[in-house]
Amino acid sequence: MNEKYLKISDLNIYIKTIFDENPFLNKVFLRGEISNFKNHSRGHLYFTLKDEASRISAVMFYSSAITLNFTPEDGMNVLVEGRISCYPAQGTYQIYVEKMEPDGLGNLYIEFEKLKEKLSKEGLFLEECKKAIPKIPKRVGIITAPTGAAIKDIISTIKRRFPICETILFPALVQGRDAAPDIVRQIKEADSGKYDLDVLIVGRGGGSIEDLWAFNEEIVARAIYEANTPIISAVGHEIDFTIADFVADMRAPTPTGAAEMAVPTTTEIINMLNSYNIRLNEFMHNLIHKSKLRLDSATSSYILKNPLSLYELKEQKLDNLIEILNNNITKRISNYNLILNNFNNSYILKNPYSLFEVKKEKLIYNSNTLYHNLNNIITKNNHNYQILLNTLKLVNPLSILDKGYSLVTKDDTIIKNSTNLKINDIIKIKMHEGSVTAQVEEINK
Amino acid sequence: MEKSFEDALKELEVIVKELESGNVELDAAIDKYTEAMKLAKYCNEKLKTATDKVNKILTDNKELVDFEISE
Repeated sequence: MNEKYLKISDLNIYIKTIFDENPFLNKVFLRGEISNFKNHSRGHLYFTLKDEASRISAVMFYSSAITLNFTPEDGMNVLVEGRISCYPAQGTYQIYVEKMEPDGLGNLYIEFEKLKEKLSKEGLFLEECKKAIPKIPKRVGIITAPTGAAIKDIISTIKRRFPICETILFPALVQGRDAAPDIVRQIKEADSGKYDLDVLIVGRGGGSIEDLWAFNEEIVARAIYEANTPIISAVGHEIDFTIADFVADMRAPTPTGAAEMAVPTTTEIINMLNSYNIRLNEFMHNLIHKSKLRLDSATSSYILKNPLSLYELKEQKLDNLIEILNNNITKRISNYNLILNNFNNSYILKNPYSLFEVKKEKLIYNSNTLYHNLNNIITKNNHNYQILLNTLKLVNPLSILDKGYSLVTKDDTIIKNSTNLKINDIIKIKMHEGSVTAQVEEINK
Repeated sequence: MEKSFEDALKELEVIVKELESGNVELDAAIDKYTEAMKLAKYCNEKLKTATDKVNKILTDNKELVDFEISE
């Protein structure tokens, strides 16, 4: 009679079937507080949901848990959606949570307002901190999910308006608890300078406040604030305001709006080029007109129109100069005449002989003086001469001859000693009157 | 290297402003005007002949690859 005893596993599987086939238990909405929260290393979340009187085990598998935009913890009130089923191995029933959100949106708003006030006090929203969005970007960076309406809207809008613009998508999670750090990572990557971006669009499409929550996170706000690249925020719809919108350099109401702010239309550029063309042409026209006016006014001056007047003026001046010159010359001539007359009237010129007379008188006087002086000199010299002559006579060797002495010479040399002579030498004997030539016959020493 | 559209447009802007400041002599103005007209023509042609630039996406390996929007 063993057949009436069931195997436990069979019972549990049967019970599980009852749970699984019950339409009410397939979709259950629960409100409760988390306790015994465990985050398994493989990503599944295990916890208990409880209220004042009861509790139920809960499991949230990784595939669902990654969509969470908050980190669950013990004591947190949450709203969950899931199905009730049995875990046969344990014989327990539990709720398999598919969606979970913090209970009470009021909490989120309070958090939002608190962060907004804090960052505002720090000056993150100040207008003067906002960078200008370039009018004509070469390359636009986009940080959003690689799928979905947002990226489609942004790229198609950019391509429609300004097809020569390049875009680079930095794919990021935009929902769930990993979204904020992922957005921060991609902002830093895009802003690293490696991609030469002129502007960055950061955003996502519409959703609930929980969906958009990553854009209300402080780390995202700070990353936007610290980026050097101008950032346009584009989160959700027009009515959605996030912290990212306040801190971004420009807020776009929608992703499409962000693309419109980021790039001009080709038509706008063409209009701009045309307006430059018109301005340039107008400017050149004016400049040439002005220059022509100046030229006209210069060429129409009296002098250039009446060149003879220039000549006349000179003519008059020449006359003046000639007159002055004539006056000068006449004056000079009369001056010279005066001087010349003075010359002509001078006594000397009129009586040149008077000059001669004077010279003649002087000459006579001089010649008289000269004669007189000369006579004096001659007389004096005569006298001296007589004295000298007498003296000479006294000392002349020949004067001795007067007294009867003779002078013997040989070859015009006076012989004083007989030893200077030899027998037969021819000698000359000079006497007072005349001389004789003799030959030596005998020498006596 | 060929001038980029943006650089050409920026240069054009600078010249227009410079000319309109009124401190340019006629000879210099004519040169600048000629240059500006060349830039404007260049920009216009660039716009008209511009083909769609390919959109890129940064992969996990930090490589830029072509990106198509999936419809």
